[in-house]
Amino acid sequence: MLKKFDYLSIAWLLFFSFFFLLMLQITLRYIPFSTEASFLQIKQTEVDSIRPYLSIFYVHVFSAICCLIAGFTQFSRFLLSNYKKLHKYMGYSYVLTVVLLAAPSGIYIGYYANGGWLAQISFMTLGLLWFLFTIRAMIAIKNRHIKLHRQFMLRSFALAFSAITLRLWKVILVYLFHPAPMDVYQIIAWLGWIPNLLVIEYLIRKNINSEETLSH
Amino acid sequence: MKKLFLISIISLCLCSCGDNKKVTDDSSIVEDSEKYKHLYGFWVGEFVAEVYKEGSTFTNNKLNIAIKSIIGKKVIAQSIVAGNKRPLTGEIDTTNNRLTFMLSEPGNDKYDGKFEFELIDNTLTGTWTAYNQSLTVTKRTFKLERKEFVYNANVMLPENQYLDQYSGQDSTITDTIDNETETYVEKYYRAASESVYKINSSTHKFTEEELKNLKKLDLEILRNTIFARHGYTFKKKAYRQFFDDVDWYVPVTDNVDTELTTIEKDNIKLLVRFEKYAADNYDTFGR
Repeated sequence: MLKKFDYLSIAWLLFFSFFFLLMLQITLRYIPFSTEASFLQIKQTEVDSIRPYLSIFYVHVFSAICCLIAGFTQFSRFLLSNYKKLHKYMGYSYVLTVVLLAAPSGIYIGYYANGGWLAQISFMTLGLLWFLFTIRAMIAIKNRHIKLHRQFMLRSFALAFSAITLRLWKVILVYLFHPAPMDVYQIIAWLGWIPNLLVIEYLIRKNINSEETLSH
Repeated sequence: MKKLFLISIISLCLCSCGDNKKVTDDSSIVEDSEKYKHLYGFWVGEFVAEVYKEGSTFTNNKLNIAIKSIIGKKVIAQSIVAGNKRPLTGEIDTTNNRLTFMLSEPGNDKYDGKFEFELIDNTLTGTWTAYNQSLTVTKRTFKLERKEFVYNANVMLPENQYLDQYSGQDSTITDTIDNETETYVEKYYRAASESVYKINSSTHKFTEEELKNLKKLDLEILRNTIFARHGYTFKKKAYRQFFDDVDWYVPVTDNVDTELTTIEKDNIKLLVRFEKYAADNYDTFGR
């Protein structure tokens, strides 16, 4: 018989798989390589005038999708207890991809974000926090501090997950209010990741409290 | 020898005098054709459906009859309406001090027909009858006024709330009034922003930044205002709806490709790219 916990993880897996596939589809729009692919259609000013923009943009697109794969493996208690090595190697590649590629490129293209300074600040803060949380989680596990590692990885992935929540909020807001494209962009720039952090923070606190009550 | 020369000159003069007379005869015909020169040019007005299939949908478009020449009784003209530019030929009738026209389109287009109209108080008033009686609209009336057309890059759409009346989408709204839940269907129409009458797409070269916050409808209207300024007759009613009521808009041609300025060509390219991006991404999962 499945426990309540298993139902939750199956629900998460289905939910996440669906949106991961959508993200994969968006990513594949950038193949074959083109200076005018998808989002770049409205970024020709940057593509033409800022030399590194195009390559850093492409780095972000293809490294970011790799980070999301962690959502399938890293939070499964089953994999964690039965396939420790898988967790370790996937963890390494997640940290390397985020810290070396996805987060720095995210901060860079965040500087040139659509929607003006409001959106720029949001995306750059998002990138910086993602970078810091991920490093913090890695240091924690190096010090064999598993609980802290788990907390910071949850925070890190909550930010990675903003790739999905941001686009989901966009669909909802456009459906409800039909706002102008950049008005909605300024809103989702923040709505994409702040609620994620709040939710994960709530879950972390709840977890700590319940563990404390258990140990008492 | 000198005498002979003189005689020949005189005779030549005489001959040419005779010729001169002939020329005056010719010029009387020329004068005859000049008689209606003041009617040459564009005559513009609403093309109102008069006989149509019950329950059908149709539009009253802007009609332009361009009179090219009236030689003797023979009239050469063009009808320009709803993206269709057709040759018109026929005759005028001047009996009873009235000036009436009977003009026909060639008949090899589905929407060809026969125009009959009269000049009354500086307007051409009359009817059009379709050859093909199975069309939705088989008879239309019109009152056309003389219009000049000059391309002017500075003309703008008048300040207005522009709605795309063909975009009506039902959206179900649930509301609680006096503790009772009511559900009703409301139509939602795409609305254009004020940018469509504030920014000029013919005189000002756009940057991406300026277009980013515009919706697809804004972009479409901005692009088509360029064509409207050049007197392009729109095939799509979705575009005609914004320009047919505009005073400066005169449909005169079905091809403006060679007329576009460099700024306009660049803007069109950029607008098309943004329209495509908006169509692909505005309401979908993505950016």
